[in-house]
Amino acid sequence: MSERVAIAGVAQTVFKPKRVDANYAELAYEAIEQVLDQCGLTIQDDIDNSITCSHDIWDGQTISNIGITDVAGGHLRNEEKMAMDGSTAVYYGAVGILSGAFECTLLLAHTKMSQTDRNIVNNDAFDPIYTRKLGLDYTSAAALQARRYMHRYGISPEQTAGVVVKNLGNAVDNPVAHNRGVFSVEDVLSSAVVADPIRRMDMAPDTDGAVAMILAGEDKARGITDTPVWITGIGTCYDAYYLGDRDLSECMALGRAAQRAYSMAGITNPRDQIDVIELGEEFSYQELLWLEGLGVCEPGGAAALLESGFTRRDGALPVNPSGGLLGGVPANVMGLNRVAEAALQVMGRADGHQVGGVKTALAQGHSGFCGQHHCVIVLQGGKEGR
Amino acid sequence: MKRNVAVIGGGQTRHAARRHDVNQVELVNEAVRAALLDARMTIDEIDTVLLGNMEFFEGCHMTDCWLADGLGAYGKPGLKITTGGTVGATIVSAGAHHVASGLFDTVLCVGFEKQEEGDTGAILSGVAHPLYGRSMAGAAVGYFAMMATSYMAAWGAREEHSAMVAVKARQNARKNEYAHLKLDITVQDALNSRMLAYPIRMLDMCPASNGACAVILADEKTAGDRCEKPVWIRAMDTAHNEQFELDWRDVTTRKPIFSKTSAARLYRQLGVSNPLDYFDVFEIYEPATWAEMVWYEDLGMCGPGEGFRMIEEGKTAMDGPHPVNPSGGVLSTNCIGASAMLRIWEAALQIRGDAGGHQVPGDVRRALATAYGGTNWTVLTALSRDLDD
Amino acid sequence: MNKEPTERELVSIPITVDVPYRFAAGKYMARFLTELRDNGRFIGIRCPVCGRVQMPPRVVCAVCHVKNGEWVKLGLEGSLAGFTIMYLPLTDPTTGKAHEPPFVYGSVRLDGCDSVVDHLIDVEPDVDKVRVGMRLRAVFRPREQRTGDLSDIVHFAPVDNEQNRTP
Repeated sequence: MSERVAIAGVAQTVFKPKRVDANYAELAYEAIEQVLDQCGLTIQDDIDNSITCSHDIWDGQTISNIGITDVAGGHLRNEEKMAMDGSTAVYYGAVGILSGAFECTLLLAHTKMSQTDRNIVNNDAFDPIYTRKLGLDYTSAAALQARRYMHRYGISPEQTAGVVVKNLGNAVDNPVAHNRGVFSVEDVLSSAVVADPIRRMDMAPDTDGAVAMILAGEDKARGITDTPVWITGIGTCYDAYYLGDRDLSECMALGRAAQRAYSMAGITNPRDQIDVIELGEEFSYQELLWLEGLGVCEPGGAAALLESGFTRRDGALPVNPSGGLLGGVPANVMGLNRVAEAALQVMGRADGHQVGGVKTALAQGHSGFCGQHHCVIVLQGGKEGR
Repeated sequence: MKRNVAVIGGGQTRHAARRHDVNQVELVNEAVRAALLDARMTIDEIDTVLLGNMEFFEGCHMTDCWLADGLGAYGKPGLKITTGGTVGATIVSAGAHHVASGLFDTVLCVGFEKQEEGDTGAILSGVAHPLYGRSMAGAAVGYFAMMATSYMAAWGAREEHSAMVAVKARQNARKNEYAHLKLDITVQDALNSRMLAYPIRMLDMCPASNGACAVILADEKTAGDRCEKPVWIRAMDTAHNEQFELDWRDVTTRKPIFSKTSAARLYRQLGVSNPLDYFDVFEIYEPATWAEMVWYEDLGMCGPGEGFRMIEEGKTAMDGPHPVNPSGGVLSTNCIGASAMLRIWEAALQIRGDAGGHQVPGDVRRALATAYGGTNWTVLTALSRDLDD
Repeated sequence: MNKEPTERELVSIPITVDVPYRFAAGKYMARFLTELRDNGRFIGIRCPVCGRVQMPPRVVCAVCHVKNGEWVKLGLEGSLAGFTIMYLPLTDPTTGKAHEPPFVYGSVRLDGCDSVVDHLIDVEPDVDKVRVGMRLRAVFRPREQRTGDLSDIVHFAPVDNEQNRTP
C-alpha cells in the first residue's frame, strides 16, 4: 500500500480534426499500446484496474465503455468509466491507489468529435424543463460567461484574442497539436462570430483523439521509470447548475478545488511555487478566468499578466506551453491531456515545447457548461518529490 | 485497503412505475434526505458526493451537473461514474476507495433512474454495436430467453422453476414497503402471464421502476462515534467483459466468465470456502428469473445444474436456510442506476436487523450483494456486522 | 365538471433527443462489412496467443490483450448455439421496421469460429422444431440490396441433412 502516487507514463494520439481510419476503440488502443510499451508493462501482469473517460452521447453507444472494454484491459477485470472531463480520471485513479486497493492503474480518455454534432450533444446537457428548448449549447453558455467576465473587469476582445495568439503559437512546437500557427490579434478578431463575443478562433476546435496514462504507487512507479511524476495535490468541486444561480465571473468551484489541491501539496503561493500550468481553456476567455480562479493573480488581473509576457512559454510562469485546448483536444480528453502535458513538462519530455527547470506543475480540467465542476491536479518531480 | 469502511446510513425512495410528482432532481433529493435522516447527519457533514447513473437513459447528458443541487453536491468535491446496471455498486466501491484513502471521512453515494423519462427499450438497443448487431438486436429479453432455453436443455429444468423464482421475488416484495412490484402471485399466475420470448414470460422479467437509493460511507472513527449499527464493507470485486462475447447465455460454457471469476477472487480475498456457510443472506442482481438460478451456481452456492433444485426445495426462501433476495430483488424493483446499490443497502439492512417486514429470521452476520449490467459485468460486495468477522 | 378531481394536473414536457452519428467502422470492422457486402462472405480474426477466432474481427484479443493477427475466412455454415422464440415485435432501430412475431431468434456459431452471431433463424416457431446444435446456413440478400450490415443476411436457414431431422 502506497502513501504516494505517481504518473509513470503518458501517451497521446496525434490529435486530428477527423480520424476516419479508426473507430474509437482502435483510436484508444493506439494510446494504450504506446503507454504500455513505453513503460514495459502488460495488462495481465502489471495493471490492477482501468479507469476510462468518455460519454455515451459522444460515443453513440449506450454504456459506451462496452466499446473499449477489450482494449482497456477490462475483460474479466476491473474497469470503470468516469463520465466527466478526463482530469477526473487522474483524481479518481489517485484515490484508488491511495486507498490501497490498487497499485497500478491504466487511465484512458477518448472521443471522436467528428462522428457527431457538438452543438446537439452540448444542448443535451441542458435540463429538459427550463433551458434545453432555448437551444443553449456550451458555446452560447460560454458566451454569456465571457460577456459577464469581460464586462465586470473591463477586459477587451483584443485581450482575449491575445490568449489565442499565444496558444496557437505555442502549438506550433507541439507534435500532437493540429490547430497551430503564428497569428495576430487582428486574425483572431476577423474570424467569424459564433456567439458574441466568442469567435471561431476563440474556440477549441472539433478533434478526434485519445490519451492514456499509467498511475502507480511509489514502489511500482520507481520500478517503471526514473522520472515518476508525483501527484501531490488533488481537488474537485461542484458549482450550482443553473446559469442564473451563479455569477459567471466568479470561480467558487475552481477556487475550492484549487484550495484542496494546494493544501494537500503544501502550496501557499501558487504564482511563486508553480513552474508551469496546463489549464482547460475551451474558450479563450477561460484561460484568463481560470488563472484568476487558481489564485495566480487577483480577479480581473490575468489579462494584464498575459500582456506583460508573464505567461508566455519563455515567461516567468508559462501557461499552456503545449498550445492548450485551443491547439485541438477532444471533449472528455481535455483534462487528461492537460495532466499529460503537465506531466511531460515535469518529466522533461515535452518535445519541442519544454519549459526549463520544471519541478512543480499544475493541471486543471472542467466538466459541465461554464465550468460547473472543476478538477485541479498538482504534480511534483524530482527524486524526492515533496 | 488502508482504512476500514462502514455503511453508516442509507435510504431509498418508494419505487414505482410512475413518479409524476417529482422531477429527477427531487427524486434523488428524496433518497439523499432519507439517508441523512437515517445516519442522523446534515449535508454539511458530508465530505464528498458521488453519483452513479447512465446518461442516455433519461436523455440528459451530464446528469450529475443538473442534479448537483438535489444531491447536495454544491460546493463539494464529487464525481460521476457510468457503468450501466452495475453502477450502483461501482459507486459504492468508489466511495469505499475515497474513505480508505484517508482523504475523506464521509462519502454520500447515490444511484437512481427515472425510467419513465426516457425510452428504455430504445436506449437498451443502443447497447449493441452500431455497425454490428444493432440492426438485429434481440434486447435483454432475447438474451435471457436464450439463457433459459440453454438452461432447460442442459439441466432438465422446467418453466415451473422459473415461475417459483418469480413468485418468491414478488411475495417477498409484498413485505418490503419500498418495492415496486408487490404481487400476490402463484406459480400458475406466472405460467399464465404473457409470453415475451420463449420461455420468458412477463412475470419472469424485471419491471422498469423509478427510484433512487443513497448510502453514506464513513471511516472507522466516524462510524464508532456516530453510528450504532455500522455495517462494514469487507471486500469488493469488479469484473467486466468484452462486448462481443456474451457467454452467460450458454450455461454449459467452460470459458472463464465474469460471475465465476469475480466470485473466485472475492472468496480468495476473504478466505471463503463455502459461501453457504460464510454468508447468511444474499442480495443477487437478477434481471430475469433464470439468472437467479445461474447466479446460485456461479456463486458456488450449489454445483452446476443444481440451481433449479435450490429453488424447488425452498432453500433460498426468506425463511429458508440460505435466503436470497428477501427484498424482492431486481425482479420486483429495477431502477437501473440504483438497483446494484439497493442490493448493497438491502444487505446492510438485513445485517442491521432493520429490514422490517422482510427481515430474515435468525442472526445475519455476513451478506453478499451482486450486481449485473453492461455486457456481462458484475461488482460483488461482501458486508459484515463485525470487523473481526 | 363531471370528473372527480382525484389527481392534480401536472405539467409534463415532451422532448425528443435526436443525435446524428457517422460512425467510422475502423480497420477491422470495415474489412468485415466490406466482405459481407461485396462478397457475401464472413471473415474472422485469430489471436496469435490463444488461437481464438473472433467475429467480428477486432484490434485486440480481450483475453490475451495482444493484437489479433491472422485473418480467417469463414464459411456460411454453422450450428445453432442458442435460441428463443420471439413473441415481441423486435424493431430494427436503424430502420424502424419490425420483425413480425412469432419468429425464431438465435445465436449461430459458424464452423471454425469461436464467436456467435445473433440473427433470425428460418425455422417454424415451434419448440419441437428447433434444436441447439442444428446445422444452419446463412442466406444473403442479393448483392444490390446489401449495404454492409448484418441485415445483409436475411436469416440462417437449416441445412437439409440428417442432423436436422428431429428424432
